[in-house]
Amino acid sequence: MSEYLLEMRRIIKEFSGVRALNGIDLAVKPGECVGLCGENGAGKSTMMKVLSAVYPYGTWQGEILWDGHELRASGVRETEDAGIVIIHQELMLVPQLSVAENIFLGREPKTRSGLIDFDAMIARATALLNDLRMPNINAAKPVSNYAGGEQQLIEIAKALSKNARLLILDEPTSSLTRREIDVLLDLVRDLKRRGTACVYISHKLDEIEAISDSVTVIRDGAFVGSAPMAQLTQADIIRMMVGREMNNLFPREQHEIGEVVFEARNFTVWDLENRQRKRVDDISFAIRRGEIVGIAGLVGAGRTELVSAIFGAWRGTSEGTVWLGGKQLRIRAPSDAVRAGICMVPEDRKAHGIVPQMGVGQNMTMAVLDSFAPGGLINEAAEMNAIGRDIARMRIKTASPILPISNLSGGNQQKAVIAKMLAPAPKVLILDEPTRGVDVGAKYEIYKLIFALARTGTAVIMVSSEMPEVLGISDRVLVIGEGELRGNFVNDGLTQEQVLSAAILPAHSHAAE
Amino acid sequence: MNKPALATTTAPAGSAPARNPGFGLKLDHVKGAFSRYKILALVLAVAVIWALFWQLTDGDFLTARNFSNLLRQMSITGMLASGMVFVIVLGEIDLSIGSLLGLLGGIAAILDVTYQLPLPLTLLVVMLLGIAAGMFNGFWVAYLGIPSFIVTLAGMLVFRGILLGITGGVTISPASAPLVAIGQSYLPDIIGYVLAAGVLALLVFVSVQARGRRQHHALEVPPLWLDGLKLFAAAAAIGGFVYAVDSYRGVPTPVLVLLVLLGVFTLMARRTVFGRRIYAIGGNLEATRLSGVNVQRIKLLVFALMGLMAALAGITTTARLAAGSPSAGSLQELDAIASCVIGGTSLRGGSGTVFGALIGALIMASLDNGMSMLSVDTFWQMIVKGVILLLAVWLDIATSVKR
Repeated sequence: MSEYLLEMRRIIKEFSGVRALNGIDLAVKPGECVGLCGENGAGKSTMMKVLSAVYPYGTWQGEILWDGHELRASGVRETEDAGIVIIHQELMLVPQLSVAENIFLGREPKTRSGLIDFDAMIARATALLNDLRMPNINAAKPVSNYAGGEQQLIEIAKALSKNARLLILDEPTSSLTRREIDVLLDLVRDLKRRGTACVYISHKLDEIEAISDSVTVIRDGAFVGSAPMAQLTQADIIRMMVGREMNNLFPREQHEIGEVVFEARNFTVWDLENRQRKRVDDISFAIRRGEIVGIAGLVGAGRTELVSAIFGAWRGTSEGTVWLGGKQLRIRAPSDAVRAGICMVPEDRKAHGIVPQMGVGQNMTMAVLDSFAPGGLINEAAEMNAIGRDIARMRIKTASPILPISNLSGGNQQKAVIAKMLAPAPKVLILDEPTRGVDVGAKYEIYKLIFALARTGTAVIMVSSEMPEVLGISDRVLVIGEGELRGNFVNDGLTQEQVLSAAILPAHSHAAE
Repeated sequence: MNKPALATTTAPAGSAPARNPGFGLKLDHVKGAFSRYKILALVLAVAVIWALFWQLTDGDFLTARNFSNLLRQMSITGMLASGMVFVIVLGEIDLSIGSLLGLLGGIAAILDVTYQLPLPLTLLVVMLLGIAAGMFNGFWVAYLGIPSFIVTLAGMLVFRGILLGITGGVTISPASAPLVAIGQSYLPDIIGYVLAAGVLALLVFVSVQARGRRQHHALEVPPLWLDGLKLFAAAAAIGGFVYAVDSYRGVPTPVLVLLVLLGVFTLMARRTVFGRRIYAIGGNLEATRLSGVNVQRIKLLVFALMGLMAALAGITTTARLAAGSPSAGSLQELDAIASCVIGGTSLRGGSGTVFGALIGALIMASLDNGMSMLSVDTFWQMIVKGVILLLAVWLDIATSVKR
């Protein structure tokens, strides 16, 4: 029959009219490792959710052949029974339970009286771990005893205990150290020799190169190409990943760039849970008056962590100094930053941007409420006037300023949040993914606004995962990869390839060039 | 092919979910109306409860004398509830106020009876102590990040322990006449009418002003008849209230304190920066923090306010009993929390009003009073109150429109 274990053909998946996947193919032979590459938002995760039936059969179009037969799974349980197991980016282990309990969670071996048979469970788990050459892991100990890398291995052991024939690894190394990565890659090679196929999703092309037999690249939900790894170089893959059309969405406007106003020096940010791990490693940069600086990088590179720490909003440990107009600031909380003239529009609008049940207007005046309230009593007439002005200026479409903000569209909510953080007239405005989940019209208006701010001398920092946006708006682009500053480019003829190469390839490979 | 189906789903973006539209929409309308007119529903509940007891007691329940008693009974719970509303809106809880009420009432009794301090000094010391105790709770919650449930559970034990320690477990009496007057006196009839007229004039003024402002900002102005009706209802309620209490002995002093609190706190909630911040923090703490608001300070102040309310309630309790009792205020925190919740305060934070909480307190007091008049056994009283609390929360959750 077919030489392939898995064939996905012309997969189409839409979300309320927007095509996330537009006819993608993917084929995997038994014992083969396929690297799946694509930029942020290209559709890799959606593709894997279709395969593992997180989106059940019928919610997408196209066909999936498994072992030559059509697979019509209605849920994850069914695909797991068939032998397709996905390991997510975030670990799904219960830290307080033992390794064995985690491996057999939901499928615990029972004694005849219906109780959990712990002896059998631990024996089977130990056999499995030995078989996978993980003798250092004790099946009876709680998972929390083990570090991130070992936990990832436990996840794999758990997957294999379900008799996985196809293992999907979604960014498995994003939180691992170099040594842990090597152990993981060895394990995957070992599995391949035993006939287990895998789909390896990663931004790290050296890992893809090290273990993939073939590579499939997707871009903006469309299939770009597929080729044996032996015929490809990392540069080829990057070229296939980018190449999104640049269009006239960016109303670039001339603006004057002045002297340095803002400096962040030696910022290091540690992970909230894994206290040893650095999310940002000693990054320094400066911005001039009226300059728009884009911060590019892949998801998880540490961009949000960096700007949160600068703004005083990082909950964990961080180090570094902020200088504004030549003076060092003491920022311990966002309130300090706002008072000093640094404002931030956060990445997650729903969780960090809006107070959903409050009115549009009340959301907008949140940062400057004191100015309407000499003596603590709010002058509602003055507040209403200011709200009316801002709604008109930002062109926020709302039936009324007292309508709860959650009733507005994403784009209008975002405009209201930006208006909120513009109200204190900041010298430095940080925008973290300002156009995420925003329609094209609102995007355009947000870009116009950024340029208008730059013209009045505001320094703008824009974190964005959309490469065309970064290149279309910024005067200068900082590229961050794995917590390091890997590029600081003046945006003059800068290409997507240059930015993506800097984001993906470790610094030492630049030095070698 | 299911292409056409896809095309139709894309067209009406943002409309109601496709499945079962007719029924779902209707139900949502009912739910929306219920949650919008929650206060009205509460007033209706009070009316139903009163009518029921009136019927069962052959009219004894709704005499001027009993009405006056009922209000005095609810005033202590009401004081606690009007502070508790803000704690719950903030997304926190305070379990310590029953014990704190007892402790501060006990201290008031000791200062009054044992040391014979002049009344103003006693009041000042007790209120400052209340603020300090509230700030102590607030400091642990806001700055040290300990869950308020735990902090105030500890406070519940500690404050009661201190009270037992300083009183030696015995009742301290008799309280001086001026102190007793705070809990037991009545205002002269004429003052009641003057106050009622003043409040009504204020309401008319505020209403006219609000209409003007809304017109100026091109907001939707409610029809004149609706505002007129609201004012008429308010006038009837206030007039009826004053007439009823005056036909017994006048407005009880603690009830006056409660009404002043209602006015001040409603203004605070709606028109002050502090009030707005409390609701913002309860609605989304992170968004508020990232807007540059000093969230920790607001939390500290809300707990301080709660402490002050415990002080007022403690003084009133001691005045009413004419003595400081080591068991005063036991389980009062639960009555206060129940009042807030029955009055529509969401335990998820972000919404709730003082007026609602006081109506909740009135419902609780009515149940207590009515069932006592009917000589219902205490155990039944507890069961009924528990069931009412559960039903109120269920109704709140079942009728909240999902966002």
